[in-house]
Amino acid sequence: MQLEVEHLSKSYRRSVQTLRGVRLSLKPGVLGLLGPNGAGKSTLMRILATITRPTAGRVLWNGADIARDANALRNVLGYLPQDFGVYPNLNAIEFLEYLAAVKGINAGAARKRIGELLELVNLTEAAKRPLGGYSGGMRQRVGIAQALLNDPQLLIVDEPTAGLDPEERVRFRNLLSELSGERIVILSTHIVSDIEAVATSIAILGHGQLIAHDSPEALLASVSGKIWEMVVTSADLSSARQMHLISSTAHRSDGVHARVVANSAPSPNARPLEPTLEDAYLAALTAQRNSADAGAAA
Amino acid sequence: MSVARSIYAVARADFFERLRRYSFLITLLFAVYLGYAAATGKVLLRLDDYRGVYTAGWIGLMVSMVTTTFVSLVGFYIVKNAIDRDRTTRVGYILAATPLSRFTYMLGKLASNFAVLTSIVFVLALGAVAMFFFAAEDRHFNAWALLSPFLLIALPAMALTASIALVFESLPFFRGGFGNVAWFFVWVFSLAMPEMLKRPWLDPLGVVGSMNSVLPAARAAIPGYKNSISLGFGVAQTQVAQNLRFSGIPWSAHSVLLRLLWIGFAILLALIAAVVFDRFDSDRSLFPSLGRKTLSLDPSPAGDSDRNGTHCLTPKRGAAPTHLTPLTRAALSTNFPQIYSAELTLALKDARWWWWAVAAGLSIAQFAAPLDVARGPLLAVAWLWPALLWSAMGARETRYGVRQLLFSCARIVQRQLPACWLAGVTIALLTGLGAGSRLALAGRVPELFAFVAALFFIPSLALFLGILTGSGKFFEAFYTLLWYVGPMNHTPGLDFTGAANGALVIRDAAIYLVLGLILLVFAFTARARQLRGG
Repeated sequence: MQLEVEHLSKSYRRSVQTLRGVRLSLKPGVLGLLGPNGAGKSTLMRILATITRPTAGRVLWNGADIARDANALRNVLGYLPQDFGVYPNLNAIEFLEYLAAVKGINAGAARKRIGELLELVNLTEAAKRPLGGYSGGMRQRVGIAQALLNDPQLLIVDEPTAGLDPEERVRFRNLLSELSGERIVILSTHIVSDIEAVATSIAILGHGQLIAHDSPEALLASVSGKIWEMVVTSADLSSARQMHLISSTAHRSDGVHARVVANSAPSPNARPLEPTLEDAYLAALTAQRNSADAGAAA
Repeated sequence: MSVARSIYAVARADFFERLRRYSFLITLLFAVYLGYAAATGKVLLRLDDYRGVYTAGWIGLMVSMVTTTFVSLVGFYIVKNAIDRDRTTRVGYILAATPLSRFTYMLGKLASNFAVLTSIVFVLALGAVAMFFFAAEDRHFNAWALLSPFLLIALPAMALTASIALVFESLPFFRGGFGNVAWFFVWVFSLAMPEMLKRPWLDPLGVVGSMNSVLPAARAAIPGYKNSISLGFGVAQTQVAQNLRFSGIPWSAHSVLLRLLWIGFAILLALIAAVVFDRFDSDRSLFPSLGRKTLSLDPSPAGDSDRNGTHCLTPKRGAAPTHLTPLTRAALSTNFPQIYSAELTLALKDARWWWWAVAAGLSIAQFAAPLDVARGPLLAVAWLWPALLWSAMGARETRYGVRQLLFSCARIVQRQLPACWLAGVTIALLTGLGAGSRLALAGRVPELFAFVAALFFIPSLALFLGILTGSGKFFEAFYTLLWYVGPMNHTPGLDFTGAANGALVIRDAAIYLVLGLILLVFAFTARARQLRGG
C-alpha cells in the first residue's frame, strides 16, 4: 500500500498558484499535514481525494495514476472534507445507509458497520433524529462515521476535530491511532497537539510548497538546542518580539516568560528548553519565509 | 450610522456580490437577446394580423411590454436569492448580531433586487433606442414616447417583482421550490388581474392598460379590427397597418400616479416581508418547523447542544467499542437495486403526508375518470405535483453541500446517476400510473408511447438542469412554464403528455423521447466532467 505524490502543482484562474511541485511518498501510518491558512493543505487533500485535478504532476495509488483511474482509489478512500453538508430530512442511519449504497457496500454489511460506527462516534441515541436538527459537533461526527464506512485503506481527514469538544477530540485521536496500523491516514489540521498525539510522520506546507516531511522525532531534532526561555518585562516584550521568534509567552510574577526559537541564546539569562512540535513548525515556517525574503532581495 | 446609509450599504454589498457572478453576465446576455428578438421582429405586438408602423411610440410600447412581461417573470427567479445567499454563506448570522433592523435590511435588499432588475431594463431601453435608429419606419424621434413606458410601466413592475421575491423569501413555505412554482401562477394572475376582476386600475404589471392604450388608434386604422392584441414570439406573418402611427401612451396625471403607487406598494410589501422575516433565527419564524428545515448550515461550532434544545447528547462516553469489524471483499459488492432504492428513498423523503394524500387522490381519480380526462387534465396535474421532487435531481448534493462526500465515491456516473434518474422515472410512473395503465389496457398504443416518452423526458430534463445549474430553480421555473403552455393549455407540440398533439402524437412523442435521450447524455457528460474536477 503506497501513495506517491509527484511534483504536484495546482493553479487557479488569475494565476494563483496554491501548490508548487509537492512531492510525498506515503506508507501505512498517520501523516500530519500542517501549514498556515492558504498554504494549500485543503487543495492537496482535495486532489488526493480525487475531487480536484492537479494542474501538473500526478498522484499514484499503488503505482496507478489516479487521474487515469480515479475509481481504483475511490473504492478504498474515506474522505472527510473541511466543509460538508448533510441531507437534513434524513436521520443519521438513513444518511449513512445512502452513502454506503453509493460506496457499493452491500446492505447487510452496511447495517452492521453503521451500528458500530454510530456507537463509535457517540451518536447511537440521536441516530434516528433528522440531521437537520444536529449541532455542528454532532454533524462532524456523522462526517467521521461516513469517512470510515467502507473500511478505507486511505483515510483523508481535513480539520476533523473542528467543532468537537475536548473529550470527543481525544476519542477521535485514539481512533485514528488505532486505525493507522493497516492504512494510510492523512490528517490536516491547525491543531499541532492533535498531530503530536497521533502522527507517525509530519509534512509542513507553506505557500504551496513542501517545507518539511519527516518523522516527529527528526523534526524535533532539527530544533534541538534552539529553544530558549528568557524572562523580559512586559514593557520589553514588544521589542523582544521584533528581535526574536517567540512561539509563546506566559506572564509570571518575575516578568514575562518568552519561549524563543533561536540558534543561540537570545539573552545571557536565557535557559535552554526541550523543543515541541509547535517550535519545529514555527522554525520551519520562519526559515522558509526568510529564505523567500532573501531570494526576493537578491 | 444613519438608516439611509445602512440601506445603501446593504444594497451596495448585495448588488456587487451579484454583479461579480457569472450568472449576472448571463442575465444581461438574456436581456440583450430579448432586445435583439424585439428588434428583429421575433417578438411582436400583434393586432389581429397587423402591427403598427415602427414609430418611437410603437417601439417604446412594444419593447417595454417585452421587458415588463419577460423580465418580471424571469427576473423573479434571478433575484429570489438575496436573503437565501446570506443564509447559506452565513453572512446573515453576522448581520443578525449587529444593530441592523429587519426593516433596514429588507429595504436594502429591495434596493439591490430593484437595481439588478433595473439594469436589465436599462439594457432593453438602450435596445429600444437602437431599434429606433436602425429600424424605425417613422423617423420622428420622440424620446418621451420611446422611453416613458420603461420608466412608468417597466420600473414599477420591477419594483413589485423585487419586493414579492423578498416576501417569498421571508415566508418559509414559499422560500424553496414551492415558491418558484407558485410565482408562475402569481405572475399569470398579475397579468390577467385587470381583465379578470374588471378593474382596469388593478394592473400591477401595467401590461394590460398599456396595450389597451393602442386600441382606439387600432380601431381607427385597421378595418374590421376585432380588438385582439397579443405579445409573443411570432413566426406568423403580419402586415403593417400603414395608418396606425402610434404616438405613445397617452399619460395623464392619474395614470402616472397609479403607476407610482405600485412602487409605494412594493415598498410596503418589503416592509411586510420585514415583519415576517425571521432574522436568520428559524425559531423566531412564524412557521419555525418549516424554516428550520431549510437551514442546512449551522454556525454553531461545537458542543452537544442540538438545534432543537439545549439538552446534552453525550451518551455513555467510554462505552463505545474501540474496534470496527473489518469489511470483507464480499461486502464491497456492486448492488444497483440497493442504490436505486436509496435514491428513491432520498427523493421521496422530501414528500410530506399531504403530498402523498394529494398524489393518491390524483391517482385514484385517474383510475375513476373517463380515459380522455385521465390522460388529459388529470395526468397534467399529476405530473405537476412531483415537480419539486424532480427539481432536486442532480442539484440536491450541491444544495446540501454533500457534493464532496459523493464525488469521492467510486463509479458515481455508472451507478448513482442512473439510480437517481430511475428514481425520477419511478416517481413519474407512480404519479401517472392510473392514466398509463388504462392506456395500456385500452390498447391505445400511440398515446401510451407519448406517456412513455414523457416518463423519459421529464426526469431527464430535471437531471440535466439540476446538474448544469446546481439548483432546482431552473427546472421549477422552466417546467412550470412548459407545463402551463403545453399540457395545461393544450398547445400542440408543447404538450409533452401527448394529449393535445392529435394526429401527430407519435411524431411528437418520438421528439420528446429523443430530446430526453439527448438531455440524459448531456447530464451524464456534465456530471462526468464535474467528477474530473472540470
